[in-house]
Amino acid sequence: MTPPPAMSVADTMRRDPEPPDSQINADLLGVMYHKLSPGYLLLLGAAVLSVVAAGATWVYQVYIGLGIAGYTHPVFWGAYIITFVFWVGIAHAGTLISAILFLFRAKWRNSINRGAEAMTVFAVLTAAQFLGIHVGRMWKSYFILPYPNQRGLWVNFKSPLEWDTFAISTYATISIVFFFIGLIPDLAIARDRATGWRKLVYTALALGWQGTTRQWKSHSRSVLHLSGLATPLVLSVHSVVSWDFAMSIVPGWHATIFAPYFVAGAIFSGFSMVATFFIPLRRIYGLEAYITDYHFDNIAKFILLTGWIVTYGYASEYFIAWYSAVEPEQTSFWLRAFGPYWISTWTMLFCNCIAPQIFWFKWARTTPWILFTVATLVNIGMWFERYVIIITGLSREYNPAVWGIYTPTWAELTIFAGSFGFFSMLFLLFIKIFPVIAISEVKELAIHEKAHGGAH
Amino acid sequence: MPSLVGIFETPGPVAEAANRLKGRGFQDLEIYSPAAFEELDDIILEKPSAVRLWTLIGGLIGVVTGYGVTIWMSIDWPLVTGGKPFASIPPYTIIGFELAILFGGLATLLGLLVVGRLPYGSFGHTDPGYSVRFSSEEFGLVVECDERDVPEIDALLRAHEAKEVSLVDED
Repeated sequence: MTPPPAMSVADTMRRDPEPPDSQINADLLGVMYHKLSPGYLLLLGAAVLSVVAAGATWVYQVYIGLGIAGYTHPVFWGAYIITFVFWVGIAHAGTLISAILFLFRAKWRNSINRGAEAMTVFAVLTAAQFLGIHVGRMWKSYFILPYPNQRGLWVNFKSPLEWDTFAISTYATISIVFFFIGLIPDLAIARDRATGWRKLVYTALALGWQGTTRQWKSHSRSVLHLSGLATPLVLSVHSVVSWDFAMSIVPGWHATIFAPYFVAGAIFSGFSMVATFFIPLRRIYGLEAYITDYHFDNIAKFILLTGWIVTYGYASEYFIAWYSAVEPEQTSFWLRAFGPYWISTWTMLFCNCIAPQIFWFKWARTTPWILFTVATLVNIGMWFERYVIIITGLSREYNPAVWGIYTPTWAELTIFAGSFGFFSMLFLLFIKIFPVIAISEVKELAIHEKAHGGAH
Repeated sequence: MPSLVGIFETPGPVAEAANRLKGRGFQDLEIYSPAAFEELDDIILEKPSAVRLWTLIGGLIGVVTGYGVTIWMSIDWPLVTGGKPFASIPPYTIIGFELAILFGGLATLLGLLVVGRLPYGSFGHTDPGYSVRFSSEEFGLVVECDERDVPEIDALLRAHEAKEVSLVDED
């Protein structure tokens, strides 16, 4: 039998010109197009205002000098360094969620990884500013880089501060690369549905992504490799930050446990910050289908686990101080708990060791307001942890004749508040410009479920 | 030559249909997917992605740079500490490690762009076979074929759960 003419068959095939969009796209892109509520504008306004206040204070500090900060002999590392370490710590959860949980194939990460990655990038950007703010004459901060100069000088690579420069700049670069690569497929989704300036921006950033086999194959491979690179990186960064302290001979700093204890503390505070931002986000934008109680349960479990590692770190520090029989070490730790900074120490112990214990109970892990409250307490506790380590360490060194008391001044507190404003401002703008949940990764799970049935 | 595009709901049938088409000698295939699925990875490009070489070479250049820069600089500007060699390897390992990650990561990004051929196409234009449905939740399998093969491919795609098969409009 003669087959019918080919084109006549093909001609009958017509593509549906207006296919319905998927619910996932509608929901997740919806966050960007959600009407700007008065609450959002108020938060953004407050954030911008605190950034402006901090910026003005910083300019004043550059003009007057570091004297307006609370530095006093013998404490020359104060609130700026504390806040630096705090934000570097916050930056750890994003990479942990994106890289380490990716390598462990923990699929629950898919709906929180994008937001957490963004928080990583913003936290590193926030932290990095504090190095410049802390050194005072920040226009000379490039001296830390090994650049060829007339004097034939090179930097000292044996200094932990030099290691820190390399660790933080590598971490910032790799987090941005990781964040951008993850965004590409979602930018294409946004591009296909956007109009106006958004269309232009997404088209440029999506790099012509169409989801072809070649594109996905190299994309998956890149994400895998970056995860492999970011995993040791994330563990190294806070280790290196801890060595800024541990390499010295200051009592209370000179401890080998610092690296793992700082890394655990970083993940602890990072997860808490993720919870602090995601709980209101889920509520406001109605993302309950994507960020479920299961996610909160897992986040709370991470907080509980890392809280215990941090608690073990504190216990070990005290034990070793006693066991070492080194008097300055013992005095330093005694004064932490019962000296002039006792409030900071007991705040830290309550927030970091006691408060998270409620997460032994499932109802507490899955009740958003409890998780939010404890996460906020942990954020406070982790800032105080650095305060305790840095300030009590420096103010009570070997010679009692040179002991001194440090109190943060209004300038430091304004700039500290500004760092929260800066971080929140970037996050608030981010959720309106980019998809806050990794759409293609959520689809991967949804399609997998459709194909194979059952939950994964 | 005309191209046909089959639209699918799940990746498994796309993989089966593409393998069947390849078996029948249709080599000019393209798959559009809304997310990454392992089953689709090796159908069109059989070899593992060359991005791995980029990462490896970047990482190696990084580690060599890290040690090289630190050792050379400490010899060029010696910080003399009695009786000790100028270059101190343990702390330089940190720089070597960080630069291995940094260069490895940047090379991975570059590898993605080169191996994945990004940026792709001309600004604001997509392939004729592409559809916004593929950035929704559907899969597309595009086959370029002779006109006489159209009915066969149409039947094959539909036999593999293609919910629609249509002709690609060549602009």
